[in-house]
Amino acid sequence: MAQLDPTALDLQLAVPKRGIRVGRIRVPGWLALLLRNRKSRAGLFIVAFMVFIAIISPLISVAHPNDFNLLATRQAPSWHHLFGTTDQGSDVFSQVVVGARRSLLLGALAGALATLVAAVLGITAAYVGGIVDEIVNLLTNVFLTIPAIPLLVVVSGYLRTRGMWTMIAVIALVLWAFEARILRAQALTLKNRDFILAAKASGEPTWRIVFGELMPNMISRIAAAFVLVFYISLLVDSGLEFLGLGDMSATSWGVTIYWAQVNSTVLQGEWWPFMFPSLALGLTVLGLVLVLAGIDEVSNPQLRADRKRGRLAALLLGRAAA
Amino acid sequence: MSAVATKTLLEVKGLEVEYGRVRAVDGINLSIAAGEILGLAGESGCGKSTVANAIMQILRPPARIVGGSILFEGEDLVGKSTEQLRKYRWRNVSMVFQSAMNALNPVMRVGDQFVDMMQAHEHVSKRRAIVRAGELLELVGMDKGRVRAYPHELSGGMRQRVIIAMALALSPELIILDEPTTALDVVVQREILQQVEALKRDFDFAVVFITHDLSLLLEFADRIAIMYAGEIVESAPAAQLAESPLHPYTQGLLRSFPPLTGPRVRLTGIPGAPPDLREPPSGCRFHPRCPYCLPENAALYLRQTSERPRLRMIEPEHNVACHLVDA
Amino acid sequence: MSALEVRDLSKNFAIGGALRRQQLHAVEDVSFSLQPGRITALVGESGSGKSTVARLLARLYDPSSGSVLYDGGDIARVRSRKEVLRYRSQVQLIFQDPFGSLNPVKTVRHHIERPLRIHRIVPSSEVEERVHELLTTVGLVPPDEVARKYPHELSGGQRQRVAIARALAVEPKVVLADEPTSMLDVSIRIGILNLMLKLKEEREIAFLYVTHDLASARYIADDILVMYAGQIVERGPVEQVLAEPLHPYTRLLLAAVHGERIEDRRTGASAAVDPVEGCRFVSRCPLAVSVCSVMTPQLVEARPGQAARCHVTAPAN
Repeated sequence: MAQLDPTALDLQLAVPKRGIRVGRIRVPGWLALLLRNRKSRAGLFIVAFMVFIAIISPLISVAHPNDFNLLATRQAPSWHHLFGTTDQGSDVFSQVVVGARRSLLLGALAGALATLVAAVLGITAAYVGGIVDEIVNLLTNVFLTIPAIPLLVVVSGYLRTRGMWTMIAVIALVLWAFEARILRAQALTLKNRDFILAAKASGEPTWRIVFGELMPNMISRIAAAFVLVFYISLLVDSGLEFLGLGDMSATSWGVTIYWAQVNSTVLQGEWWPFMFPSLALGLTVLGLVLVLAGIDEVSNPQLRADRKRGRLAALLLGRAAA
Repeated sequence: MSAVATKTLLEVKGLEVEYGRVRAVDGINLSIAAGEILGLAGESGCGKSTVANAIMQILRPPARIVGGSILFEGEDLVGKSTEQLRKYRWRNVSMVFQSAMNALNPVMRVGDQFVDMMQAHEHVSKRRAIVRAGELLELVGMDKGRVRAYPHELSGGMRQRVIIAMALALSPELIILDEPTTALDVVVQREILQQVEALKRDFDFAVVFITHDLSLLLEFADRIAIMYAGEIVESAPAAQLAESPLHPYTQGLLRSFPPLTGPRVRLTGIPGAPPDLREPPSGCRFHPRCPYCLPENAALYLRQTSERPRLRMIEPEHNVACHLVDA
Repeated sequence: MSALEVRDLSKNFAIGGALRRQQLHAVEDVSFSLQPGRITALVGESGSGKSTVARLLARLYDPSSGSVLYDGGDIARVRSRKEVLRYRSQVQLIFQDPFGSLNPVKTVRHHIERPLRIHRIVPSSEVEERVHELLTTVGLVPPDEVARKYPHELSGGQRQRVAIARALAVEPKVVLADEPTSMLDVSIRIGILNLMLKLKEEREIAFLYVTHDLASARYIADDILVMYAGQIVERGPVEQVLAEPLHPYTRLLLAAVHGERIEDRRTGASAAVDPVEGCRFVSRCPLAVSVCSVMTPQLVEARPGQAARCHVTAPAN
């Protein structure tokens, strides 16, 4: 079958009005598709759990995360302090749950910004081609060749203000190129499909072809790219903060780990201010990676079919695999 | 036509295949005599390729055989072990499918692919196998030096010939051709079919030829079975089918090919589209498209829309499933 | 008065890597004209350049040389967006693959409504009504229900009808149909061909019907152009050409579909890659004489209305 239908995921994302029943609840079709895949279901539950914690953090945090209590420093986890306390006597549990807010928000926003830039530049470049494509290509290559982490270190080291928005801008700046490259490549495969030519032949202006015809067919890929950059931003952000290049007065997982490291708590056998934020970070990234894997599986039936066909040919010719 | 076909090579009895909840093949009976060319015609989605895959025993989940049997020389294939089936495939029955030319491994020389395939089935030295590969290529009208070629160095028609040569390698009794020439140009298509005919004369294997192009079958097949929506609706010797088609679907198919000679007349084709097998029509599956299914004729209409017609013998070797013929 | 006239149209593509750059002469020296209310069939095997011709006329590619005359102007030279838009509103393309030519995430309505709006065919208030009219014209009923559907909910034949409705939306003078039935089921092909015949008669549209199927060309076309390796090798009224073909390639094609025994000595490479002087069919030709491999034959009218590019059957005077 020569037919290349959109992935069900693209259709569901581009045409969100159709709901699918899962049990008794009606959920958007794309969500239902992702929930049916084992990997993305697990990932979505993890991410949803972290987001939920972040949202209700003011309700469950025991104290203001930066409150210090010199009478209760360096306490191991206990019923009173679930995750123990820091050398300042701050409650690590509160720091982790409140820090979830900033870490997740920063990751999501940086991911969104990078995705937006990448989608607009990458897809437009692919479709328009010519000099525009050359320039965007050059730009992405430049950003790809610059070693990202040293650049980040240098940029954030020189910045005077290190508020959240600055961090978002810095991270998006170094990450958009990865995505632009992926999306451009995918747009290139779509741009010569007949329906794009048909739209062109019927006189659609370029911007409408890019945003109205091409992009809706790439939503699942854009979503995948977003998830990818989301967790890379999370890691990068925490990494920068761990190196002391973030906003050190804020509460986030990276900052907590930073202070734990500065005060060499681990060396003194106090693993908790280090371990719990790291676990939270790891768990979130794991969730996002699973979601990404799920999106990939749901939206690439073609790949799966190809693999099957390969086996079929082997079987037919009686090769070893059969 | 071949000599009197006596020995039944393959018999399909009441075969039912389901894809999930969709019944793609619904109770099919076929028999193929040794040395015979059986044509299986029908439109995309009618189940003809599924039948081929079932005969070849290469159905993959979610497709599975839920009923019936496939007897090869009297032995039922359903339920045989993987190892038995592996031996049966290619040695007894081989297959050339539509995209077969893409089944060649792009990074291996053609000859090495023959070697692999042969060594999977019998003990043969590499040198012996290569020589044999060259002979086979010559059989299908290619230069034997092409064993050294990579697939990308060959045109689509050439690659299809290579696959046919591979199908011949273990001299099977039956070769299934599933739309073997659909992707090829008319001239190449003609040449390949000529080649198959010539080879059949020399080696006397039976052929199941599956295509949507009824006009090709009228020319090449001894006997033709027409499939519609998972069923066989008519089967007859080719000449008889061309002469006096009885099922309205067969008649419609024959009217769908404009002639190259004679007066230019408007044809009608068949209105509507093949049914969705997830919800097959009640009664006769062809009734929504049938020009003879009219509410005015109340008694017949009721039968057509509620009762499934059974394949019945009208004349020797001519079977039809249609209420009109019964009436 | 022809609707569209093509003169000496050529298109080359560069193929191969940087080291072994070759020129594929996909279309070379092609001239013909399309008449209102007539269907011209363009037949040839895959790779003969027939689809490229359709795409050149639709302005999806720029020609390497030659001209396409429409309404007195040379469309190949027009650059202004307004002019291109006007041309596109009158020359429409129908694609081969009805599964690929519709945007999978857009409704049927979107596909037909967009051209109406882009070219301001009817006032906004009447768009809905016109969409329904067009769907009815191509036999998609009930139109309001079909308009809401997505391509994957339609059968191949229905999709091709949507594509035709989209082409008709702008009230074109010329329709270029690129193998519109080759990917459809046999039983519904005739329906699409009949629809084209009906449109030709009712709307006086000039059709270019690109196909590899001689029988369907005979069924709907008035004139035929046979292409081989980028060149038109035979041209004339369809009945006459198919009854008494001049060019050996046309004869070979006919023999293949008539079920005659054929002998072909094809060589591997396409004759259109870096062609040398001489007839491009020479290596496969049973009639070849010495002049064939040194001089490229021209299209010569050997019988009234029928021309061929062959030194033997249509010699220049």
